[in-house]
Amino acid sequence: MSFKTLHRLSLLAGLCLTATLTQAQSWPAADWETGSTPSGVAVEAFEAYSFPARDDANPTGVRTDAVLVIRDGKVIYERYAGPTKAETPHLTWSVSKSLMATVMGVAYGEGRFKLSDPVASYYPPFAAHPQTKIGHLFNWASGLDWQEGYELAPLRSSIVAMLYTRGRNDMAAFTAAHHQEAPPGTRFRYSSGDSTVLAATLKGMVGAEAYQDYPWTALFEPLGITSAVWESDTRGTYVGSSYAYMTARDLARVGLLMQRGGRWQDRQLLPEAWVDFNLTPFADFKPSGPNEQVPGGHWWLNLAYEGAPKPWPDVPPTAFAALGHWGQSLYVLPEQDLVIVRYADDRDGSYQHNEFLKRALAAFAGEVQP
Amino acid sequence: MIKRHPIVFLLLLALLILLGLAWQNRAHLAAFPDITSAYAAKEYCSCRYVMDNPADYCVSYAKLPIPLSGFFDDAENKRVTAAGFGRTNTAAWIGPREGCRLLEQTDALPD
Repeated sequence: MSFKTLHRLSLLAGLCLTATLTQAQSWPAADWETGSTPSGVAVEAFEAYSFPARDDANPTGVRTDAVLVIRDGKVIYERYAGPTKAETPHLTWSVSKSLMATVMGVAYGEGRFKLSDPVASYYPPFAAHPQTKIGHLFNWASGLDWQEGYELAPLRSSIVAMLYTRGRNDMAAFTAAHHQEAPPGTRFRYSSGDSTVLAATLKGMVGAEAYQDYPWTALFEPLGITSAVWESDTRGTYVGSSYAYMTARDLARVGLLMQRGGRWQDRQLLPEAWVDFNLTPFADFKPSGPNEQVPGGHWWLNLAYEGAPKPWPDVPPTAFAALGHWGQSLYVLPEQDLVIVRYADDRDGSYQHNEFLKRALAAFAGEVQP
Repeated sequence: MIKRHPIVFLLLLALLILLGLAWQNRAHLAAFPDITSAYAAKEYCSCRYVMDNPADYCVSYAKLPIPLSGFFDDAENKRVTAAGFGRTNTAAWIGPREGCRLLEQTDALPD
């Protein structure tokens, strides 16, 4: 049995399991229900890693702003640090990419595009790259000569230029002006430009007027998300790569939607085929080192792939995540029925997803944990 | 020339290479000085007016290793102007869903 088939089957099994539990499921209404909060040594060990003493003047080490843990659709743990509070719409950085994918998943369900459609049919400036399909962008496989990387190499960084200097007025056009370095669909290279172009294609799909409210009408309002802010460039294109904000409690709603296969209460908001695409590894991905998350359709997967071990060895392979700069994370662990939001301000590389999740599983996974 | 003035030749060669590199990177170099002030103005604006964090926290939050030569938080109008490296940039809060954005026109820093 091929790896892909196995992965699909395990997803299907997860969905069936979820379906049989529908009757008993909790869903957040205007606010989340609260379940009983675990305590004990495992929770203490989790907190010792996640919330060490912090120094804002000299920011080093693990600097968690918020942790929210949802189990079986109920809040079982919630803690804030630094200036962040329950009502803070925290910057999600690149978690925005997976949020844009989820917004566009609703558009996909409305039949507004197919993954095989050329990008240029919805965003004409991409006529310079006629072979690039929408699906290539979701796999970060545009093949453009994009340079991601923030503070360390500011001179040639495409992301810094896009957000702050040459690209900031029209970020999608700035991306489209990059050279085609590899044929589209053949090479994974993480690119905020690819995500921003997706945000521009959405404008072409739904029309400029509906676009202004689309993330709200399509996703945020159906989920009961009220705190969202999404910044745009001068052209009014959402900064799909970087600039969505919401509270931890609101971001967890997106996690629950994904955990439950795109269904929100009685409504299949995202087609199952869409979630399946989100969670399918990009076929031509070649891991370049250990602990490198596997790219799916604008979400990150914890899969052993192409001979490389699971990026998070102590975490089940069915786990997936939306991940952003400075430690922003939305983790979904379907087998444990857990959704975990972590907001942070990690300014160095000391935070480790695996260590955090290992301790979170020990503290919060409950009896389901084998 | 090479035999008589080897050092001058090497210096000229180095200068030519540098000019070549600068020309190749001219778009990057022209934009580079804007990074510090644009980053500070934008990220401070969002920290303060989108996330609603305290002003003093946002100052250190939006700081890069290179110091600014000027900074003004126009709290009444939610407009943030920063200067550094000879460039000035302004970010403004647009609305409750729209958050902050860098503007094409910059505000003048108060004297």
